Amino acid sequence: MTAFVVVGLAGTRLKRLEWGGWVAVGFAGAALIVGVLVAAGAMLDPGRYTNVQYTWFQLPPSPGTFPNGFELVVGTLVDPISALMLLVVTVVGFLVMLYSIEYMHHDRGLPRYYAELSLFLAAMTGLVISNNLFEFFLFWELVGLCSYFLIGFYYEKPSASSAAKEAFLVTRVGDVMFLLGIFLYFYNYRFAGPAGSGGWAANGFVFVNGSQPFLAGTMGGNSTLLTVAGIMILGGAAGKSAQFPLHVWLPDAMEGPTTVSALIHAATMVAAGVYLLAVTSLFLGFTATDQLLIVAIGGITTFFAATMAVVHPDIKRVIAYSTISQLGYMVLAVGAGFAMVGLFHLFTHAFFKALLFLSAGAVIHAVGTQDLFKMGGLRKTMKITATAFAIGGLALAGIPPFAGFWSKDDILGSVYAQLGAHPAYWPFFILAVAGVFLTAYYIFRAWFLAFSGDRPRDPTLPHAHDPTWRMTVPLVTLSALAVGAGFLIFWPNFQGLLLNGAGVAGIPPTYGTTDLLLSAMSVLLGGAGIALAWYLWGNGKVFVLPESSAVQPVRKLLLNRYYMKAGYDWIGAKGVYSIARAADFFDQFVIDGTVHGFERMFAAFSDRLRRIQSGVVSDYAAYVVGGLIAVFVLLLFVAPYLVAKVGGG
Amino acid sequence: MDLTSFAGPFLPEIVLLAGVLLVYLLDVLKLRSNELVGSIAVAATGFALLFVVADLGFTPFALLRTLPASSVDPTFSGGYPLYAFTSLGLVFQAIFLLATCLVSLASLSRPREERGAPIFYGLLLLATLGMLLVAVAADLIFLLLAIEVTSLATYLLVGYTRRDSRSLEAAMKMYIIGALSTTLSFFGASLLYGAYGTTNLYAIRAIGILNTGAGAGSYPVLVLLGYGFLIVGLAFKATLVPFHAWAVDVYDGAPTDVTAFLAGGSKKMGLFAFFLVLLAPILFVRTVASGSPFTTTQVALGPVLQITLAVLAVLTMTVGNVLALLQKEMKRMLAYSSISQAGYMLIGITVGTAPALAGATLQIFAHVFMKGGAFLLVAGVSAWGIGPLIDDWKGLGTRRPLAGVAFALMLLSMAGVPLTVGFVSKFVLFSAAVQAQGYFVWLAIAGLLNSALSVFYYARVLRVMFFEQAAPNPLPAGTVVGGSEPPILPAGGFGYGRAAAIGLVVIVIVAVGVYPQMVLGAVQSAAQHFVNFGA
Repeated sequence: MTAFVVVGLAGTRLKRLEWGGWVAVGFAGAALIVGVLVAAGAMLDPGRYTNVQYTWFQLPPSPGTFPNGFELVVGTLVDPISALMLLVVTVVGFLVMLYSIEYMHHDRGLPRYYAELSLFLAAMTGLVISNNLFEFFLFWELVGLCSYFLIGFYYEKPSASSAAKEAFLVTRVGDVMFLLGIFLYFYNYRFAGPAGSGGWAANGFVFVNGSQPFLAGTMGGNSTLLTVAGIMILGGAAGKSAQFPLHVWLPDAMEGPTTVSALIHAATMVAAGVYLLAVTSLFLGFTATDQLLIVAIGGITTFFAATMAVVHPDIKRVIAYSTISQLGYMVLAVGAGFAMVGLFHLFTHAFFKALLFLSAGAVIHAVGTQDLFKMGGLRKTMKITATAFAIGGLALAGIPPFAGFWSKDDILGSVYAQLGAHPAYWPFFILAVAGVFLTAYYIFRAWFLAFSGDRPRDPTLPHAHDPTWRMTVPLVTLSALAVGAGFLIFWPNFQGLLLNGAGVAGIPPTYGTTDLLLSAMSVLLGGAGIALAWYLWGNGKVFVLPESSAVQPVRKLLLNRYYMKAGYDWIGAKGVYSIARAADFFDQFVIDGTVHGFERMFAAFSDRLRRIQSGVVSDYAAYVVGGLIAVFVLLLFVAPYLVAKVGGG
Repeated sequence: MDLTSFAGPFLPEIVLLAGVLLVYLLDVLKLRSNELVGSIAVAATGFALLFVVADLGFTPFALLRTLPASSVDPTFSGGYPLYAFTSLGLVFQAIFLLATCLVSLASLSRPREERGAPIFYGLLLLATLGMLLVAVAADLIFLLLAIEVTSLATYLLVGYTRRDSRSLEAAMKMYIIGALSTTLSFFGASLLYGAYGTTNLYAIRAIGILNTGAGAGSYPVLVLLGYGFLIVGLAFKATLVPFHAWAVDVYDGAPTDVTAFLAGGSKKMGLFAFFLVLLAPILFVRTVASGSPFTTTQVALGPVLQITLAVLAVLTMTVGNVLALLQKEMKRMLAYSSISQAGYMLIGITVGTAPALAGATLQIFAHVFMKGGAFLLVAGVSAWGIGPLIDDWKGLGTRRPLAGVAFALMLLSMAGVPLTVGFVSKFVLFSAAVQAQGYFVWLAIAGLLNSALSVFYYARVLRVMFFEQAAPNPLPAGTVVGGSEPPILPAGGFGYGRAAAIGLVVIVIVAVGVYPQMVLGAVQSAAQHFVNFGA
């Protein structure tokens, strides 16, 4: 498996070549083959865990701090959970690479693009197969860095580089929280560990110990501390997965190439936050307070992001909001204790969302604009793309038998089954159900605006046509996956996996008890959403909300993203900028001042300076004697006094 | 004691001595070529190193030989000897030999026309011989004499070029201050003899320090005075503030290869002498503090010494770092940085636990490579005509990428950046201080703050090397402006010897940084052995 990472890294070295893109595709293809084989191996035999690790360094036990010692390991873990993620990363990664060959061929800086994309793939695979939290964090930072580079790929555009900075800063808030969370868990668990294992710290924070899920519920600890640690982890995940209130960066991240949006900001990296939550929930466990908080964040994000998607005119941003909203569903599921169900949705979502992005990319490639209101009638000239987008949309809307139906239904069903035990989940469940309707509406609004009707609303658009095989092959493959990935749920092995995940967190496995009524309701809601979209926007119609309408302020509010971005900007401008100015002041006047002050001081006493350091030996001898006297004062008077006072070391 | 059982453990020393004799024999025979004499020095240190590594029990070498059991007997059933082989002593022997080996390897590339090769290598080997003896000393007098062997050799080394007035001046300074501190050390030893009736370090450890014999009340002052003089005397070797003033002038004035040896080798000897002398009083009180009859109302010796050392440590690292920040010359900056590093290392003995000693030892190991390597590289770079100022290094990173990257790695390691050996050693050292709790946590915090401070001046060098352009040659008056090319560096590299030494340094910095467990494990068990030895 390490070789796998190496493949990715080796890929980054070769990008200077003329055929760099194809080389990158080749490496991604090799990674795909390895990834699929490994994942298949892990999934076919659910009991199998492959954990390879070696010790980076260790410290011996000490009674006070680490009674069992402390160890940092580097290792890879392939279990069904990481296999699932591995599959997503390699499949989508390969398809996006292939797609990039045509999509990006007009752009400059391609070696940079492929190098960064390959590095991202390597880091992302490293992340999903990490077997301990520290390594996880390392790769976590690395994918964040790649994301920063790739969002700012069109660095000549000021909006792109500012979006990159924004993404970097906002996710940094989450990263700091994540790191704090690791330290808190470490502090809490340094004494404890499962019987015979010598403690978590002694084992290098590894997720698994044999095939047993680690730590969950079996270990004590300070529950307040654990709650805070859980909140910190949630913060980290919220930053990476763009959850409320740290979601602002993701829509702006659409400044990057569409391929990057598809791979990083829809299918893989943003899902890392959910993966982190799931792994933490499975192996460490959250406290009840944390769970409620996670459910709340998930529910709120689901609904709010969906409402913002409803009004946006930019095809990519609609999908971006949709991503935030869908990630909210996953967070909701993980919070309610169904980590594996959340990951199942992650799995299906990765395919249909990448499909939506890549179809949107095909449209943008063909017509050269992202404005939905300029498009129209593309169905006729771009048959494959239109179909692909429709399939992605149906999957997203949760219409059976498309993939999204199975996983979304699972989430709703699982959470629904928990409502009896946790009535506090009710409001967030309702938000999530309402989100289903909005989801179906906004995605088909986008489809109708772009594809239905007779001709583009903006007549200056170039004549559009379907792209060549390099772009359609990924579209068709992803379409197949968007249709078929959900059927995985009928595979007994996979069912076992879902059950296992649910059982670990100490919650009865309920995913299977999907309420037929609930399913029917969510399908109906989805259908209603599509119907409404058709009624308002179908067949080339453009629904214009009357200026006098009472809903107008709501629309404005949504278009302005609830003014959160503006608020953050205000805080950033006023608050952060003042801090920056203060820091600058500090830098200029305090640090430089100190340095210059020293210099001036020395300059002022230059005679003495020369005497101090430039030669006179008798002075040095005088220092020795002076030092001797000082040492004796210390030894005979100061230190005994301190020892008597404090009691010594 | 028959000859073989005596000679066996001292095989490394004997090899070095043979090397010295051979070098001087060749000198008499007028065979004075740098390459020839230098290879003898490299071979001698290399062989000695092999033996030491075999003593340490590394499996591939263990077949070579093993120490006779009598020489590692920690029970001292046959009375207290002059020398005792602890694992930590062997680790330090290895460190000293590595330093000498690196320096003599690099010196193979000294300019051919430079004379005095036999003097240089002979003194280098003699100094190393003294250091090896320090590492196994079990008696104060033996220890101080061994230090004197090294000191005398290093005074001469600093001034061996003779025609260079700067290095002569440096040698003179070092000699005067060194003589003063030697006097202080011996005076301290005599006071301790007055207090304890013995100068054997392990015997002192075994004696109940504060309440043996009649008139227990008079002991503490005498003992404290004795340790005070010893601390001051040894602080000269270890370049602790305020006994450091000589070091900057000497490091600056000495031939740079000798500086590398002083910073990488002989200074470490001073620190290990601290370990040897002070561990007994510190450890002794620490171990008896919990409910044994020794916890009297009198001053507890250990904590008093620890507080004194803690003050010295913080003073040393802070003053060293602040002054390093202000330096404009590369060698002086490295010299001050080396002083501040001594402060970190002193944390190890101040805390006095096995993990802390392990951390300090690892820091010393790292420092041999980082700082020794840096001075060796500076020596090589000056042969290209790069001046003494930091600003003279402008653009070196792009003009000579290999040297630039190697130097950058050394600086990053000194700053403690992860994946370098400097990070591992600082991590182990500071976490050991934190583990010991009490005010040692503040020592760790002071160390961390100082590391942060040190990043500034390391980063400045990096910036100068990689992000600034070399100043163009001053153009003769009347030339057409436009020739803004930086001056061409002379062709050729460092020479094979120096390049090999620097390559080795880089490999160790990265290899131990990435996979520290082998070295770390050996050092940890050695430190544990050292703490338990004879107790």
